[in-house]
Amino acid sequence: MATTTLTPAASSYRSGLYDWVTTTDHKKIGIMYVINSFIFFFVGGVLALAVRSELAFPGMQILTPLGYNESFTMHATFMIFLFVIPMLAGFGNYVVPLQIGAPDMAFPRINALSLWMLPLAGILLLSGFLTGGTAAAGWTSYAPLSEDHALAATGAGQDLWIVALILIGTSSILGAVNFLVTIFKMRAPGMTLFRMPIMVWTVLVTSVLVLMATPVITSALIMLFIDRNYGGAFFDPRVGGDPILYQNVFWFYSHPAVYVMILPAMGMISEILPVFSRKPLFGYKAFIFATAAIGALGFSVWAHHMFTTGAVYLPFFSLMTFLIAVPTGVKMFNWIFTMWRGQLMFKTPLLFAFGFLSMFLIGGINGAFSASVPVDFALHDTYWVVAHLHYVLFGGSVFGIMAGFYYWFPKMTGRMMNETLGKVQFVIMFIGFNMTFFPMHELGLAGMPRRIADYSSTAGWNDLNLVATIGGFLIALSMLPFLWNIFLSLRSGKPAGDDPWEGNTLEWATSSPPPAYNFDRLPDIRSERPLFDARHPSIAPVSDH
Amino acid sequence: MSSSSSARRSRPGLIWVATLIVAFVVVGALYVSGAGVRIVESLYPPPAVTDQGADTRELYNVVFLIAAVIFLLVEGLLVWTIIAYRRKPTDTELPPQTHGNSVAEIIWTVIPTLIVAFLFVISWQTLNKVDTVTATAETKIRAVAGQFQWEFDYMPPTYDPLAKEPVAPLYVEYAPTGAEGGLHIPTGRTIQLYLTSPDVIHAFYVPQFLFKRDVVPGRINAFAFNVQADQAGQTFRGQCAELCGIGHKDMLFDVHAMEGAAFDAWLADKVAQASATPAPPPSGGPAPSGGPAPSGGAAGPGTELAETAQNIAFTTTELTAPANSPITIKFDNQDAGTPHNIKIFKDSIGGQVVFDGKIFPGVATETYDVGPLAAGTYPFECFVHQNMTGTLTVQ
Amino acid sequence: MTTDSTALIPVADTTPEGDHRYGGLDHDVSGGISAPVLGMLLFITSEVMFFSGLFAAYFNVRANVAIWPPIKPDTIPPEQYHVDMLPFVLPATIVLIISSFTCQWAIWSIRRGDHTRFVRAIAVTAVLGAVFLVTQCIDYWMLGQEQVTLSSGTFGTTYFTLTGFHMAHVFGGVVMLSVVLYRGMLGQFTAKHHDAAEAASLYWHFVDVVWIFLFSLLYLFPGKTV
Repeated sequence: MATTTLTPAASSYRSGLYDWVTTTDHKKIGIMYVINSFIFFFVGGVLALAVRSELAFPGMQILTPLGYNESFTMHATFMIFLFVIPMLAGFGNYVVPLQIGAPDMAFPRINALSLWMLPLAGILLLSGFLTGGTAAAGWTSYAPLSEDHALAATGAGQDLWIVALILIGTSSILGAVNFLVTIFKMRAPGMTLFRMPIMVWTVLVTSVLVLMATPVITSALIMLFIDRNYGGAFFDPRVGGDPILYQNVFWFYSHPAVYVMILPAMGMISEILPVFSRKPLFGYKAFIFATAAIGALGFSVWAHHMFTTGAVYLPFFSLMTFLIAVPTGVKMFNWIFTMWRGQLMFKTPLLFAFGFLSMFLIGGINGAFSASVPVDFALHDTYWVVAHLHYVLFGGSVFGIMAGFYYWFPKMTGRMMNETLGKVQFVIMFIGFNMTFFPMHELGLAGMPRRIADYSSTAGWNDLNLVATIGGFLIALSMLPFLWNIFLSLRSGKPAGDDPWEGNTLEWATSSPPPAYNFDRLPDIRSERPLFDARHPSIAPVSDH
Repeated sequence: MSSSSSARRSRPGLIWVATLIVAFVVVGALYVSGAGVRIVESLYPPPAVTDQGADTRELYNVVFLIAAVIFLLVEGLLVWTIIAYRRKPTDTELPPQTHGNSVAEIIWTVIPTLIVAFLFVISWQTLNKVDTVTATAETKIRAVAGQFQWEFDYMPPTYDPLAKEPVAPLYVEYAPTGAEGGLHIPTGRTIQLYLTSPDVIHAFYVPQFLFKRDVVPGRINAFAFNVQADQAGQTFRGQCAELCGIGHKDMLFDVHAMEGAAFDAWLADKVAQASATPAPPPSGGPAPSGGPAPSGGAAGPGTELAETAQNIAFTTTELTAPANSPITIKFDNQDAGTPHNIKIFKDSIGGQVVFDGKIFPGVATETYDVGPLAAGTYPFECFVHQNMTGTLTVQ
Repeated sequence: MTTDSTALIPVADTTPEGDHRYGGLDHDVSGGISAPVLGMLLFITSEVMFFSGLFAAYFNVRANVAIWPPIKPDTIPPEQYHVDMLPFVLPATIVLIISSFTCQWAIWSIRRGDHTRFVRAIAVTAVLGAVFLVTQCIDYWMLGQEQVTLSSGTFGTTYFTLTGFHMAHVFGGVVMLSVVLYRGMLGQFTAKHHDAAEAASLYWHFVDVVWIFLFSLLYLFPGKTV
């Protein structure tokens, strides 16, 4: 139960549009990050449905070859840069200052700037659809296909894409600076680094990755822009440039980017599992070291995306890629043994956490296949990789995001979500997700390459593609109970109170939603579970992990 | 200890036994029905047709086995935990607040490290067998990947891509698919394939080789392989595996394995044919085409149309000709080094073919003898660059 | 940073005012680096990574060829691309290095509370930065006269991209210094509270260090004459 005795809690946000547009309050900014990200999730989802609809049957039924290439390029671009990365930044924005007992982020105005750069970038990307075509060279945008040559990326779409990504990257970098300064400088007294919630730790490591890696892709994008528009010779072999240089600079960012996309989701799962198991996280310190190890190792594996180029030193990158499986496995065991001998409460956040664990495991295992270079020679650029990336990004990040959304919605809005609708969404989404992506393992092994708009009817891939398409529409269907749930809950959900889940961390020690200044007073902080300790004074706080 | 926890101690036991029985039954059913084999097969690459592919497939056995065991153990543990530790109405006290266990944590750090180290070592060993170039290849072929068609150049044994003087190929195959075209290779010999592209990155991928290699403009990638002797007479499908533009989905190729002596005879035959046919003159003038002699004995004087390919586009997209009069098309390919052709269809592109002109690289001119056509609208395209289209209106 | 304090804080239930010991503001009770300065250091880290990408491209391009600088096309006899540090670039480098000293002098002055010297030193620094920019522009113009531009193959592309983005950062630094100058003239800084000036000076030193690397690479070790 709540331990605070605040004067009437702040009522739900009835402040006007002007207030929301000009706010520097991390909670409102966090909510707007989440809303913006969901909008682009739906845009990216529609593009995915276009792709899957075209691939359901052999033959080109709906899209032109160029339209298909635009669809999967923009699908991935929206999902990575305007959905997963900012969604996790948004949750971090909302939750981190609360969890460390701070009144806001270190630089509230820069926080607002980071937010508003995103819808602007989204509009730039979308405008390609209206100005003769978007980028169509894949989200990886390899040169020379992304250069300004015949049958390559002529037209403004690719340039709009470059500018939009530079904007998004700047937003991320500013956000990372903000998170790091907030976490290092604004923790409440008593909260040492090793008493911080895991969510805060994962945001810390993620911010280091964003800070160090994102500027490198900015440089790659700028170099590509110079090639395309000013006759540059970076990547164009016709004038002495090197396409492999692009891949190296690109992947130096884009590999750490995948850890940016998963670590905060892992942080959210690490908050949810202890609460819904009624036990602390198993191996708190080991978990932190594993997270740091993943962050560090993540900078050393980028060329495993380039095994088939004939231009990388294969054994080094293969070894580092295999090694990164170890801290990931440590975390998996930490999570499982958090639940072991616990008392699991099957609310929607836990269901999605279970979805995360079971599906991310598959994504981790099928990734290990690709770490073996000879096996990767067979699997690279086939649907196997599409299966892998979706098992970690959808099975991992999206299920994690859903878990976090159901977990923190009561804190953000003061209303509980409907459990039945949540369970319905989970079941449909889980089944649809597996139906879409599991067959892709077989498709990739059988030889279906990625990024093809059509396939031969005699290749033997018809049935699996149809099954995958049906699964994709099931995923889309699962959004209906989700949206209905949000609408219903906002209108007439049960009042949540301060602490509906018997949470462990400080955000549950204030009203739902919190007042502008977050806290009136704080409980003692003597472990990573200050609220649990306050609720169970007879159990000694454990902080010497 | 309260009574609820002793009741708890027996509940997991029952669930444990039940789970084992169910698992046993399921696995047994899968095995007996053959569905289990089918499931495992679906998670395997095709059987290899090269020695190197066979090495990779053996490695895959080990990786798959370890992956399957880890998956069953960990996923099983996860599912079991979810089922066995549901909160029950009798759970009013907190469960034991275990923060960690150093022994367990060390074990599950060390053992996975050993497993991945093992996987790395065996992968590296296989890599050294699979990813090789040889100084003594018996057959050297250069694959040229362009947007959007493969071309195969059969090179003499003296070919060295780094040599200053370019070596002319013995024979160039422009048609990437079909029984006649595609990549013909001898079994039982070491073949070295050289990969080059004039435009964007492509990838040479043959699923049954369990292998692919990128084709990067500005560099020449090479790899050596041996097709197993018992594959003589077989055809394998290949496809470009790196997004290369709007025609990426169409960049297919066939690989035909032939017994060594048969391959030698085939290549000698092709070389002889190529030198018998005079090379197309650089510009102008009617040249012998692949079709029947023009004009002789046909009704009417015949119509000569002109078409030019420049910068991967037809300069004229609307051609007209009178009906029932022999049509020839003087086709000027102005794109140096880039193959083009004109392929005419009856009703729609991809449908019934009326005329399939020889593909040839520029800068050169060919005269196509299309013959007389009935009145109608005939779409045409360049088979190599299928964005190049036009319409021939016959009336 | 918040210290690992084990001093027990009284249970807060009965304290009406609440606990205001938050760190990170200018008046940092727990001591240590201030938030704006930490933020600038982190931002500079990201800028270092940005330049790393560009430097990586330069090293890659240079390592891929036997002859660097490359031979200018259509020159008889064959002539290599080259850039001269005289008459402008060497003086510009000296100017920029001097500006780092004047910048640091400004910071020492304001830490002592000496407003007058602070304002003067910042003004000189900003002016020296502007001089650097102008000389670089003249140098660019002169190279343009020799037909050496951004589209002059790998040499021109890497040279102008590296030096161009450095110039952009110098420009940003001059703007920052001007804001600090303006605020300093208004008397907004004291010996204890002048985080903006500290942050701007860190940035200015970073810009100077990058130039020292660039100058060494492009002018002191420009490749081999063949």
